[in-house]
Amino acid sequence: MIETIRFWVIVVLLGLGVFFTFVSTVGVIRLPDIYARAHTASQTDTLGAGFALAGVAVAFGWQHAAVYTVLLLFFVFITNPTAAHAIARSAAESGIEPWTNDSDEDGDSQ
Amino acid sequence: MSTDGHEEGEIAVAADRLLVPLSDTVTVRQTVGYAVRSGLEDAGELAIHLVVALPHEASLPESRQRTAEAEELLSKAENWVQEDAGSASVTIKTTLLGTDEYLFGPRDFAETFNDYAQEHDIDLIVLDPEYQPGSTAQILQSVELELDAVGLAYDEAPVERPARHQRLVGDVSERFDRLFAMFWISYGFYLVLGDPTYWFDLVTGAAVAGIVSLSLAHVTFTFPLDRVQSPIRAIRFGLYIPYLIWEIVKANIAVSAVILRPSMPIEPTMTRINTRVRGGLPLLALANSITLTPGTLTVRADDQRLIVHTLIPSARDDLFDGGLERAIRFVFYGRESAAIPTPRERGDTEIIGGDDQ
Repeated sequence: MIETIRFWVIVVLLGLGVFFTFVSTVGVIRLPDIYARAHTASQTDTLGAGFALAGVAVAFGWQHAAVYTVLLLFFVFITNPTAAHAIARSAAESGIEPWTNDSDEDGDSQ
Repeated sequence: MSTDGHEEGEIAVAADRLLVPLSDTVTVRQTVGYAVRSGLEDAGELAIHLVVALPHEASLPESRQRTAEAEELLSKAENWVQEDAGSASVTIKTTLLGTDEYLFGPRDFAETFNDYAQEHDIDLIVLDPEYQPGSTAQILQSVELELDAVGLAYDEAPVERPARHQRLVGDVSERFDRLFAMFWISYGFYLVLGDPTYWFDLVTGAAVAGIVSLSLAHVTFTFPLDRVQSPIRAIRFGLYIPYLIWEIVKANIAVSAVILRPSMPIEPTMTRINTRVRGGLPLLALANSITLTPGTLTVRADDQRLIVHTLIPSARDDLFDGGLERAIRFVFYGRESAAIPTPRERGDTEIIGGDDQ
């Protein structure tokens, strides 16, 4: 019984992880410019990796390896905003204007 | 260093065109005084060039305040020179340097000074020993090295630094606190990775933690620790994490819904928000939390003025309601400090690009 519940918990967590990674991919393709894409790219790291690692932790059970996944998530949560900020900042410094609703529909900003 | 300064003081006697880079330090007044005195000692006439090198591009909106501060410093320094010169004839020229470029490291500063020196036929640079152009750590040592590299003559002003003694008094217990905290943090981390019940890991962990704390404690904690407040902050930070995760989940769902809708109703805007957190660590925590929640992205941080790109209106409203800011204030300053008006109520928000409402 417990094993069945655990199995489905793992499946649901991994499914959510895959779902948010998929959304993030769709976002990177659909969104208009680098700033907007940086928003959605970080979704992969936060919830995509978050749910996947939670699934891994449940799969390992109450073991030492589960602690590693929490640590892994912790470092992902530190490095992800740093990288997103670095990309956005360098975009701002190279003078890329953010896309707005007033911009030309076809005009891809770089 | 003092003999060095003396020798180069001899050169200063002959100089009649001096360049004095200024920054906002406790010793800047003395440096200007020394420059005037040493310049006038021998030569009857003196041209003194006061410059402030800006570490940021002056044209960017968030640097405006810094530029204003720099101009204020220049006009103050000009008054000091006139005061010290008395009846002697001194020509003063004040300039802002680096307004059209982004000065990054000591080399950029040295090269900027060199260009200026060549252009204006400068004989000698008088340096403030505390010279600190950016908001980063002191860079005097490296500026000196770079000035040597480009072959510019410089003279370090002999100034008195009253603050130095105070810093030494509390040093022993402060140093112990840092070592102590660093030791247990690294020991804990080692045992989490290893096996806390195995004697070998316990022994090697203690050795590694000892080495780490000795070599890295002063790098990790750049500020004095408080024996009561610092552990409390760590606990509050632990409480903050579930709240942050909840915010991330909410924002993720909102952004996902927008992305998956065929019409994709996004409204990207650039906003500026003046946050009420001070210091490096609270600001880092806030800016990173803002970036971590999808829908808001910190593009630039200039002290507590953050430039944030928002993707959808609801994310912008959340940002202006300042939930994360209050949480960060709770972590670092306690429960009472958390209850402040939202950025929107304070008038600390501004939309600087994109959709106007």
